[in-house]
Amino acid sequence: MDDELFLNEQIKVVAIFADGLNPCRPLKFKRASGREIVVTEIGLRHPSMQGKRMLHVFDVTDGMADYRIELDAERLVWRLTREADHGI
Amino acid sequence: MEYNTEQPLIMHVDLNSAFATIEQQARPLLRGRPVAVVNRRTIYTTIVTASYEAKALGVKVGMKFIEAARLVPDLVAIESDPTKYRFVYRKLMAILNDYSSDAVMKSIDEGVIDFHHLHIHRPLIEIGYEIKQRLCDEIGVAMRCNVGIGSNRFLAKTAASLHKPDGLDVIDATNLRATYKTLKLTDLTGIAGAMEHRLNAVGIYTPLEFLDSSRLVLEKIVFKSVCGRQWYDRLRGWEVDGQISDTKTIGRQYVLEKRNLKHHEIMARLHNLCESVGFRLRFQNKVARGVYIYARIEDHKYWHASKMYQLPFYSDATIHCLAQQLFFNAPSGIREIGIRCYGLSDNDDNQLSLFNDQFVREQQLVYAVDAINQRFGDRMIHSADTLDTSGIIRQKISFGSTRYL
Repeated sequence: MDDELFLNEQIKVVAIFADGLNPCRPLKFKRASGREIVVTEIGLRHPSMQGKRMLHVFDVTDGMADYRIELDAERLVWRLTREADHGI
Repeated sequence: MEYNTEQPLIMHVDLNSAFATIEQQARPLLRGRPVAVVNRRTIYTTIVTASYEAKALGVKVGMKFIEAARLVPDLVAIESDPTKYRFVYRKLMAILNDYSSDAVMKSIDEGVIDFHHLHIHRPLIEIGYEIKQRLCDEIGVAMRCNVGIGSNRFLAKTAASLHKPDGLDVIDATNLRATYKTLKLTDLTGIAGAMEHRLNAVGIYTPLEFLDSSRLVLEKIVFKSVCGRQWYDRLRGWEVDGQISDTKTIGRQYVLEKRNLKHHEIMARLHNLCESVGFRLRFQNKVARGVYIYARIEDHKYWHASKMYQLPFYSDATIHCLAQQLFFNAPSGIREIGIRCYGLSDNDDNQLSLFNDQFVREQQLVYAVDAINQRFGDRMIHSADTLDTSGIIRQKISFGSTRYL
């Protein structure tokens, strides 16, 4: 039940912007601690509105834990908002 | 009446265990594991959706999480995420709309395509498999759906439930009896406990016996209404469920997070619900004339009160004021509260009022607040006494309705 961490951590992300169904694909991100996480799969990308401001929410995994990272489309800032290993 | 022998042209697409499947899509580590989607992060919460892996181990929708966790110790609970589910709902809706202008979402996880009036140059089965593939390509590889094809909505839905979680079945006049033979009465959509007892009381124990009952028996003895004739036609593949009904009520309910809340804390939560209902009312451009409130108290007992008013209303303040008056007589020991507005009509604003200035000012204020909330985020402006409730009462998605998606 409580295996999920709720965070609000600014991160640095390497991502590819291209065309197709997934125009933005995060490849890896660096946390404030310096730890680098390589994205092995993007589970789902969905938009989320905060008023008129658009956030692009990416549910991703590195194979060890699932992460939620969010791109603020107005401020162009990436944040890590969730981390869960689901007891693995 | 004979069975409907026309070519089946209704397709039902159903994302079974939708919320759990979407979570397994979004979180790859959950795939193949028992997952329960819940509305609150507490062990006393009720399971909204269980994944197929959890269902196979005996977890059922509606079960308390604490009971399910005893049954399946490694059950993973995930709090529901309405934004994510709305996104998948819109994706599914867009896919269905590509095949016919007559595609309707029946709930957040199922849609119906009517292929009547269209010239189709390929079999519907092929289209069904294409929709399945598009779901995987456009949303994610873990997405699965059931597709059912039938001559009416009922048979299409029944077909979609035959081979979960990734089936595609057709029911037509040629295999109607054979299909009913494999089902129980409660497998039929619309037949649950009470209805099953009613049918059992006249000696109907199987879908085949239901099918073979005469129209007269169903109309005059079993249902004692037009429903009997509708069931007679429905079971034979004739369309009786094509009508879209109007919204009759708009409401919200909330199970109190603690049992010992003080009166003013319950009133703050009621106020929050009133604001939410008011927004939904205006979102649908409706006005109401009646307010109904209820409270569930200990031992699953209910208290309720309602009143119909002469003048229509739509503002949060009016709804709250009327709800407050009704709630005055509410008992103690409340576990759950709910409010519904009824007597709905379109807000066409044609009727002139003697008190026009007052109404115009209220209208301008209400719409200005709505505009600000839509621009800067939900509940950006709200009543001061609901300040503490924002993090507690959150929007959840119900399965039955797609009106607010």
